[in-house]
Amino acid sequence: MRLRRVIVPATMTGRELLRRHVAMGLLTGLPLAFYVCSVGQGPHHAAVTGGIAMAFSVAGASIFAALTARPVDQRLVLAGYRPFELLLGRLLFLELFGLAVSTLFSVIMVLGTGPQHPVMLGVGVELVAAISVPFGLAVGALAPHELEGVLILIGVVGIQLTLDSTQTIAKLLPFWGAQRVISYAVDVTAWTSIAPLAALVYPSLLLALAAYIAHTRAPAMRAIGTAS
Amino acid sequence: MMSAGARPGRGVTGRDRIRSMTVFTELDDERLARTASCGAAPGVPVLEANGIRHSYGSKLVLDGVSLSVDAKEVVAIVGENGAGKSTLMRICAGLIRPDVGNVHVQGRVGYCPQIPGLFELLNADEHLLLLAPALGLSERAVREQGHTLLSELGFPVGDSSPTRYLSGGARQKLNLALALLGGVRVLLLDEPYQGFDHGAYVSFWEHVSGWSAAGLGVVVVTHLLTDLTFVDRVVELAIPPGPRQTSR
Repeated sequence: MRLRRVIVPATMTGRELLRRHVAMGLLTGLPLAFYVCSVGQGPHHAAVTGGIAMAFSVAGASIFAALTARPVDQRLVLAGYRPFELLLGRLLFLELFGLAVSTLFSVIMVLGTGPQHPVMLGVGVELVAAISVPFGLAVGALAPHELEGVLILIGVVGIQLTLDSTQTIAKLLPFWGAQRVISYAVDVTAWTSIAPLAALVYPSLLLALAAYIAHTRAPAMRAIGTAS
Repeated sequence: MMSAGARPGRGVTGRDRIRSMTVFTELDDERLARTASCGAAPGVPVLEANGIRHSYGSKLVLDGVSLSVDAKEVVAIVGENGAGKSTLMRICAGLIRPDVGNVHVQGRVGYCPQIPGLFELLNADEHLLLLAPALGLSERAVREQGHTLLSELGFPVGDSSPTRYLSGGARQKLNLALALLGGVRVLLLDEPYQGFDHGAYVSFWEHVSGWSAAGLGVVVVTHLLTDLTFVDRVVELAIPPGPRQTSR
């Protein structure tokens, strides 16, 4: 695989997405709005709410990237791209986008919350962003339209925000591990193992890959004679 | 059951109507020949679809359809709405796997879908650059080749507007140029001139003749009877009959 076959789709995904100024403004403003609105309920609640709400921003952008690319992807595969190259390109851009947005947001939260472990707060928010990308791409590849994709996102993140993190269902949701890291950053007594985190991230990534391949796979065609 | 009245391997029977080939004698196709591929001899099949059967759920859209297209041949596919024209094109392009049947092609297939598959906020040059790595072309080569094709189709080369702000005709010209990039042997065009003005429409058929002369096998889905005078052969698809009613 030549690196150019990943870098170029990554670059074009970025250009396409970042030109949607209003959508990007709304998406990146959402976690800030959640954070500001929950500050009155204490630093722990505000950090967890704001941190998990980062998923709206990054997973939303990922869903959008997957859905806008859908009508073009088959053309790209027909021209010679492999589905996993397109997926890797989008992962690359979106992870960098998530890193940038979550770093900026972490600084705001550290200054506003004054956590016991500022670095861990940053790690927790970055984790939310990192997990949001494969999660969003998987939802975008599976959801038939934007509305369904956004509803799935609202449902999963909303339930994650609502549930107590000690509940079994909460542990099955994709952002539980990151939620525990953020909790620990604000309140060291809240530490628990986050082993289930990996068990959720990788299936999400594999699901995204499988869905991409299913959407873009060109059936094998046999050549007539000797193709030039 | 042969919904297209086609015989495997070559052409169609029954509904097949051989039309006189319109010859454009004064075409400037040299540049097109350089950008498109060439080399296949007439009479040599470049696309063969055999015994294609395809359903969407319980709805059967193609049943036993076969199609063969030679190099330097222009074939029109006609049929009423729902006859499976676009589905057949997508199967021939390799975008849909048929339930039954197989497709053989020689060389690369260029596919121009009915609805342009474009990114709304990327411009024409960015679309060219996006395809460059897939086609194994350098940025410079893809720009040169793309600009040549676009200017010949009457696209405003140099317009850096995102495709969202282009006219329907300009979007369709970009759609067509992207299908031709990189040198193709088979060109599948699904109602490719939607949004074209009269001049662009006439010019389009001149280009089809040029691509055919350059060695490509061209398949055009159309609803316009006037188009049929521009092609070598017409294949009419019929809607497959529904499930038979059984009497007691």
